[in-house]
Amino acid sequence: MTDAILVIGGGIAGINCAMNAAKYGAKVYLVDDTPSIGGMMARLDKTFPTNDCSICIEAPQMYEVDNHERIEILTNAEVRRVQAGGGIFKIRLLQKPKFVDESKCTGCGACVEACPVSLPDPLDGKIGGRRKLISMAFPQAVPNKVAIDPRCRSGAMRAAGACVGGCAVDCSQCRECPIALCVKACEKEGKKAVTLWQANRNIDIEVKSIVVATGIRNAPPAGDLLGYDRYPNVITNTEFERLMNAGGPTAGHIVRPSDQQPAHRIVWVQCAGRGLGPGRGTPYCSKVCCMIATKQAIIAKEHDSSIEAAIFYNDLKAYGKGFWDFHRKALENGVRFVRARPYVVSEDPVTHNLTVRYEHLDTGELRQQAADLLVLSTGLIPGDRNERLAKVLKIELDHLGFFKERDPILAPLETAVEGIYLCGGATGPIDIAESVTQATAAAMKAVLKN
Amino acid sequence: MPDDIRIGVFVCDCGTNIAGVLNVPELVAYARTLKHVVLADEGKWSCSVDYLGRMQDLIREQRINRVVVASCTPRTHEPLFKRATREAGLNPYLLEFVSIREQVSWVHMREPRAATEKAKDLIKMGVAKAALLEEGEEIRLPVQTDCLIIGGGVAGMNAALSVAAQGFRAHLVEKEARLGGMLNRLCFLSHDRRRMPAARIVETLAARVAVHPNIRVYTGTQVESVQGYIGNYKVALKANGAGAAATVGISTIIVATGMREIEPVGQFEYGCDPRVMTQLQLEAALRNRALGAVSSVVMIGCVNSKNDTRGCCNIGCHVAVKNAVAIKTLHPEADVFILYRDMSLVREEGEAQKRAKQMGVKFLRFPEQRYPEVRTEDGWLRVKVYDLLAGREFEIPADRLVLTTALRGDESVEQVKGLLKVSANADGFFQEAHVKLGPLEFASHGVSLAGCAKAPMFFKESCEAGIGAAMKASIPMKRGYIETEGIVADIDLTACSQCGLCAKRCPYNAIRVDAEQNPAVIKALCKGCGLCAADCPNECIGIVHYTDAQVLAQVDAALEEDPGRKIIAFVCHWCALGGVDMAGVSRLQYPPNARLIRVMCSARVSIKMMRRAFESGAAGVLVAGCEFPTCHYIQGNYAAETRVKRAKKQLARAGFDPEKLWNVWCSAADGPKFASTMRTMARELKLES
Repeated sequence: MTDAILVIGGGIAGINCAMNAAKYGAKVYLVDDTPSIGGMMARLDKTFPTNDCSICIEAPQMYEVDNHERIEILTNAEVRRVQAGGGIFKIRLLQKPKFVDESKCTGCGACVEACPVSLPDPLDGKIGGRRKLISMAFPQAVPNKVAIDPRCRSGAMRAAGACVGGCAVDCSQCRECPIALCVKACEKEGKKAVTLWQANRNIDIEVKSIVVATGIRNAPPAGDLLGYDRYPNVITNTEFERLMNAGGPTAGHIVRPSDQQPAHRIVWVQCAGRGLGPGRGTPYCSKVCCMIATKQAIIAKEHDSSIEAAIFYNDLKAYGKGFWDFHRKALENGVRFVRARPYVVSEDPVTHNLTVRYEHLDTGELRQQAADLLVLSTGLIPGDRNERLAKVLKIELDHLGFFKERDPILAPLETAVEGIYLCGGATGPIDIAESVTQATAAAMKAVLKN
Repeated sequence: MPDDIRIGVFVCDCGTNIAGVLNVPELVAYARTLKHVVLADEGKWSCSVDYLGRMQDLIREQRINRVVVASCTPRTHEPLFKRATREAGLNPYLLEFVSIREQVSWVHMREPRAATEKAKDLIKMGVAKAALLEEGEEIRLPVQTDCLIIGGGVAGMNAALSVAAQGFRAHLVEKEARLGGMLNRLCFLSHDRRRMPAARIVETLAARVAVHPNIRVYTGTQVESVQGYIGNYKVALKANGAGAAATVGISTIIVATGMREIEPVGQFEYGCDPRVMTQLQLEAALRNRALGAVSSVVMIGCVNSKNDTRGCCNIGCHVAVKNAVAIKTLHPEADVFILYRDMSLVREEGEAQKRAKQMGVKFLRFPEQRYPEVRTEDGWLRVKVYDLLAGREFEIPADRLVLTTALRGDESVEQVKGLLKVSANADGFFQEAHVKLGPLEFASHGVSLAGCAKAPMFFKESCEAGIGAAMKASIPMKRGYIETEGIVADIDLTACSQCGLCAKRCPYNAIRVDAEQNPAVIKALCKGCGLCAADCPNECIGIVHYTDAQVLAQVDAALEEDPGRKIIAFVCHWCALGGVDMAGVSRLQYPPNARLIRVMCSARVSIKMMRRAFESGAAGVLVAGCEFPTCHYIQGNYAAETRVKRAKKQLARAGFDPEKLWNVWCSAADGPKFASTMRTMARELKLES
């Protein structure tokens, strides 16, 4: 009989769940399907309502789980098969290659410097973030190792024109990349950590309980929402968060993607897409966006007090301790809150300045507002892998696509399968403190399971 | 005996990351010339398994008893080298970490000569400190398995059940005559699609509690006194009314005292007309089937909430919708109006509002500056409201008016606050350890926090918080002890003047004063920030691994040569050093004048340390800590800020230029801020070459 626990998802919920269970005495496998733990919080600049620096408070916890003797972190890995019986779960994990030997990589970054190809970052792309084909997820990544973007191995080098001419080898088959500058850079450092021939690896483990902490994701702006696809200066609130982050692609300068000039008139659109027709916008309130916009507006004004910040909202959600004071702080700092529903955005093709036409919800009037930068709060939606994971774990999703509790009132965080528990964004939109609370409770349930 | 000190210095190449800029063989040769150094070695990759093995062999062979590692950054690699040191048979507190990659080679890439000189200084400083290092040890405090839970509501009962399930003993204290707390006053729960009566849920939970052999329930009882600390509390419990208090030995405490409504006496005819009630009073009427016949019910939201003194009540909107639906179910023909400012309904709660609308509940939004007015006329309550959407005023006749009022902590909060030495906000909600990452505990070890005692929450959230708080309390009970790192305060009583300042200043209640006013550090509770030591007027508090002597030795070593070109920078381990590392990782180049001295918290830096640097001729001094409001030690950076202000005055009096004492508050993500501070300092102190 094992006392081990599997925590799926290495965001702030998974980290706290693993940490509490390990401190309690359990062996914990902390699995994340990206190259580093940290989750969404690692990408944030600040946290509301105190404006704490996000990575400053999360990184010590990341190092702590990394150094804990009873926690085994498995990144780039996902759950493929689960077999329940006899009170335990037999689990097969599939770990995808990073093309880097983690036992040798010291995270020095010489390979990253050497890599000739950078592609738009999948998350920061619109605000100019680029990422080398070999890179560290972020500077504080745990494990502090680089990983190769699989696209490097499937022709992105060639597409970017970086391969040497006349190479006859298909990149996906390439065993000795003719450039392989990363390999050479690593060898020059005296290591041989970059290994281009790694394959998928199966890892079999046995645990007594499983905690699903797979988190949540930002809803992508669907179908050219308010000009997002056409206009460079329409971005999402997550992109704005990266824009104001000193560790982000602009080193914390709040500039417009179109011309890299400081943005002076910034408008946040809450519940973006809501009311614009079926399928537009997230069909429920995502709880945290009002405070995110408030935070972003406050920080933007801190960067430059001359910035004109306006938040277009429906119903203000200032539901937590200190949130209302935070809203008032924004008002005192000159942030405008307007009950408004934008319905169309147009752009001056020369200056890329935007005009937002909106309905003022208090008066019903139609008005317009000029903006340098438009920030869409698109809401939070279930992870795109929830469905597959639910199938593997044989648990259910609710009608919104989040993991379902068997009895939220009398058995919170428990699923229909005994021994499988939930916490954090896997249960729906939630803030950090609530995630930590649930994670701690789920850890209690997980260690208590017989 | 100084003769016995045998220091080994291990300098890392980090491939070319360090060796590509710095002349590592020169550093190694230099290290060998330093006092007490018996061995210096160059490693290509010090963190590799091979080299760690070699390091351990050398430590054993050469009988090294102090280790200096000069490599990357302690923030990521110190635990690794500590483990290696321990495995070599040496106390890990005898290791000193010198950062020559993030602080030197990555940030002074174009000045290899100056960079090498800086690295030499850093190694010299590390060696000077290492010579003074003393053994330390993790501190353990035994913890038994009795847990006191104050408050027998939903959170308390859930906590008790989780604690008891592990075989630990839960002492569940409830001041009312029966368990259940606020749940005893509700009709149905929010978010409960099955609409189970709240009474049945209380029964279910209370029955589970009652039959559990490991739970002892004390109803009609209050906590009279609490003495001691985690693992060692003596708690006196007193039954209401007469009777002597019983004392129990307790190891951990969970606070789950709940909340109450603020009655809006004198507002909206409340207290004057019996038909005006709060949501809780409505729930009681629904629960007891005592509402009577109604034809028109009006609810007003945000009563005494979201104003100058108080925030959102967190739960009121959904409670109003739930109760409106309950009234509509009982009296389908009755008109029900919800007058609101913002409908704070999240996630699936929006669906409840849709259902309410389908049942005919009317929602009217009124402006913040224009609350509805109520008067009585012709036996009706008349509610005048300005409907924002319609843009005009309506008058609604009502035979019941329900106020969604603000909430505050239970009346016992003031007492509990004093007993446990914890804090609460103006509304009587307890202050958790950290708004984001410490929602279930207090800053003092051993006391957890659950349910509405922290802030208003729904039933489900209270359950989760109760279970989570039980986990926090159970960890030390399961292990049988708490353990903290050996970086703790140590008071020399022979020099102490019993002023008591240290006990007052300690953010963790880790210093207790006895009857003779002698302070004593409860080491297991001390987190080693050093705030007490820096403020001690008699300088009689040492912090293990960061004693005055050790830090001053670093200052002296740094300023031995050419002090007029150097800046002494005291940097906190958590954020400021994170910013330094971030500047390194980002290869931000800045002038090489600063010599960094790591402290755990900027609050550790005493005026004496700053002053010593100036006395030794430093060009400038920088104190760098976490960006407000973040602080790993609650608010050490605030203490440091006030101390720097005081230091400036003292320095001016002593004839030093106070403008040469700098301050920066830098987040761990803000490499650019640290680098630009360095550039500005070098420019303004005229150190640019």
